[in-house]
Amino acid sequence: MASDIIETSGLTRSYGEICALKPLDLTVPAGQWLSVMGHSGSGKSTLLNLLGGLDRPSGGSLRLGGEDLMTLSEDGLARFRREFVGIIFQQHHLVPYLTALENVMMAQYFHSVPDEAEACSALEKVGLGHRLKNRPGELSGGEQQRVCIARAIINSPKLLLGDEPTGNLDHQNTGMVMELLNELRAEQQFTIILVTHNRDVAAWGERIISLDDGVLVREERTGR
Amino acid sequence: MMAAQKLIALLLAWSGIAAALARYFPGRRKVLLLSCVCGFAGGMFLLALCKVDSPASIIRFSAGAAFLSVWMTALTALYRVTGRGGKSLPSEDIHPTPVFMASGAAVMSGLLAGAISVYLMVPKGGAALPYILTLGLASALFAGSAIALERFIPKIITLTTTATLTLVVSLLLFATSLTLQLDLFAPLSMKVMKFIHDFVHQFFESMLVPDHLFFRHDVWVYIGYLFSRGVGFWGGLLLWFAPVILVGVAIRLEPLPPVSHIRQGAERRKQLANFIRVRRNRLIVPGFTMLILAAAVYNSSYPNVEYWDPPPVVVTMNPSGMIVIPKKGEIDLEDGKLHKYLFRQKGREARFMILMTPNGKLTVTLDACAICKPDGYGQTEGAVICYYCKTLIPLETVGRPGGCNPVPLPFEVKEEGISIDALTILNRWGETVTSTSRIEGGGK
Repeated sequence: MASDIIETSGLTRSYGEICALKPLDLTVPAGQWLSVMGHSGSGKSTLLNLLGGLDRPSGGSLRLGGEDLMTLSEDGLARFRREFVGIIFQQHHLVPYLTALENVMMAQYFHSVPDEAEACSALEKVGLGHRLKNRPGELSGGEQQRVCIARAIINSPKLLLGDEPTGNLDHQNTGMVMELLNELRAEQQFTIILVTHNRDVAAWGERIISLDDGVLVREERTGR
Repeated sequence: MMAAQKLIALLLAWSGIAAALARYFPGRRKVLLLSCVCGFAGGMFLLALCKVDSPASIIRFSAGAAFLSVWMTALTALYRVTGRGGKSLPSEDIHPTPVFMASGAAVMSGLLAGAISVYLMVPKGGAALPYILTLGLASALFAGSAIALERFIPKIITLTTTATLTLVVSLLLFATSLTLQLDLFAPLSMKVMKFIHDFVHQFFESMLVPDHLFFRHDVWVYIGYLFSRGVGFWGGLLLWFAPVILVGVAIRLEPLPPVSHIRQGAERRKQLANFIRVRRNRLIVPGFTMLILAAAVYNSSYPNVEYWDPPPVVVTMNPSGMIVIPKKGEIDLEDGKLHKYLFRQKGREARFMILMTPNGKLTVTLDACAICKPDGYGQTEGAVICYYCKTLIPLETVGRPGGCNPVPLPFEVKEEGISIDALTILNRWGETVTSTSRIEGGGK
């Protein structure tokens, strides 16, 4: 039985009087693919930001990989993000004037030291071995998202967070990206938390939770 | 006030030594404190009981030997990382810290620091015991505090063996620079200047360079630079800082650890990044050591001492061409102090000085030497100092020719006073001093 990589208890996040996430108890076993669904403003991205150490909870407890994020300093949180988490955004957030290879190497640089051969290998793994020297503007949406995936996995994270990673992609590219994530998870054994509106995309996960107005309203197993 | 400043500087240097040793020998605080106190006390008593004529030379010799050991260690460290026996970080990180090593290092440092403190602070010929007790107490207090407070120094500041030795010796050199008699930098730059002078002289002698017109106007100008004061100073600086720079280079060149056996790329890179970070942090101590050595150079170049340097008394010659200065007039020539005189005649002038040495011998010399620009001399404890090159001339040797000694003048002691031939003074000044001042900014 895999140990839990995420443990939250009474986790909340408020912005002034608005409570974006109401007390949430959630455990995620290591290696699981969890999809988070919900309409806009339901608290999905808030939860993702908390799990990625991008934001601090207003209350409750949050343990990731055995580490209590509530007690970490800013430096500690930065180190934790650097070494533990990989994030894929809907908007890619690639540096436009760097090549695909340089974008991946930049993640290596902020983690430790750049290694060009390893970055090439990661891009080859996502099927972009022939696009190393292209800038993001010269890549299609699907290709850009694959660069993001290469960038997110280059530092061997234990937790991969995806915030609507296929939101801007067509059906074909969505399938390709999901297939790729599935292969990489099988190979590298990381945990995936994927936020999406799309039920087909959510169905790639082993477990789906639904949020509504900051409250966990439904949980289901997909049987994958 | 001056003594208090020196005492504080000395004790701070001593604290630095204790803290550096505490960082290098973790977990040996009690042993270190005990050894530091014993070493310092031992050094104080050894020097206080020392019956040799010049204890300064013993301290200078010890400090010089320590400086040489830093040179040797720095070169060894550089060879180790550039030669075939390149060693990576882990071997340097794990300090073998048996008790005897920690206590040995503390005792050795304490011996020298204690001796320096006695030389600096205890007045010659007075009762030494009260000073020794006070110094001992203060040194124990400072060392204890430094060892206790060392834990608050950021952990990223780590010390290699070489860097520790360099830091400790640099702090000792800083302590010696607090007094002219123990200072090593001024003699070092003087030796460099002398070496270059001798080398250039011998080179041109052996080359039998003809007195060609080209040499007169062009080449000699460039050769003149080799005889300028800057050559000795900058050459001395090079030798002074080189070991620390070499230590820094050796740290920078430490080879990366083998990581090819680590399968996961991120973990491999993380280990490399850790190594590079630690290696970079290790440069902090050599950088700090450079500052300490720079402070020692400053102390040496601008010594915090008061000189006895009276304004020259203008004298005239009598009809027989002699300058006669009474032994016991307004000025007592036998009071052991330096007395300066100025003689002018037909647009020519010369400065000379009269001094009674501690062994009761009256001496008459020019206020200049045969090597340096005629900046003159001042008197400090037990010596006169050449203002130009900062060389200390022991009072006993004033009146003897050679080196940076003031150029001696012939004189006679008569009933009415000391009698010196006026023309001889002017001529001797012209022969030696005028030629040394001809080269801009340089000695002869």
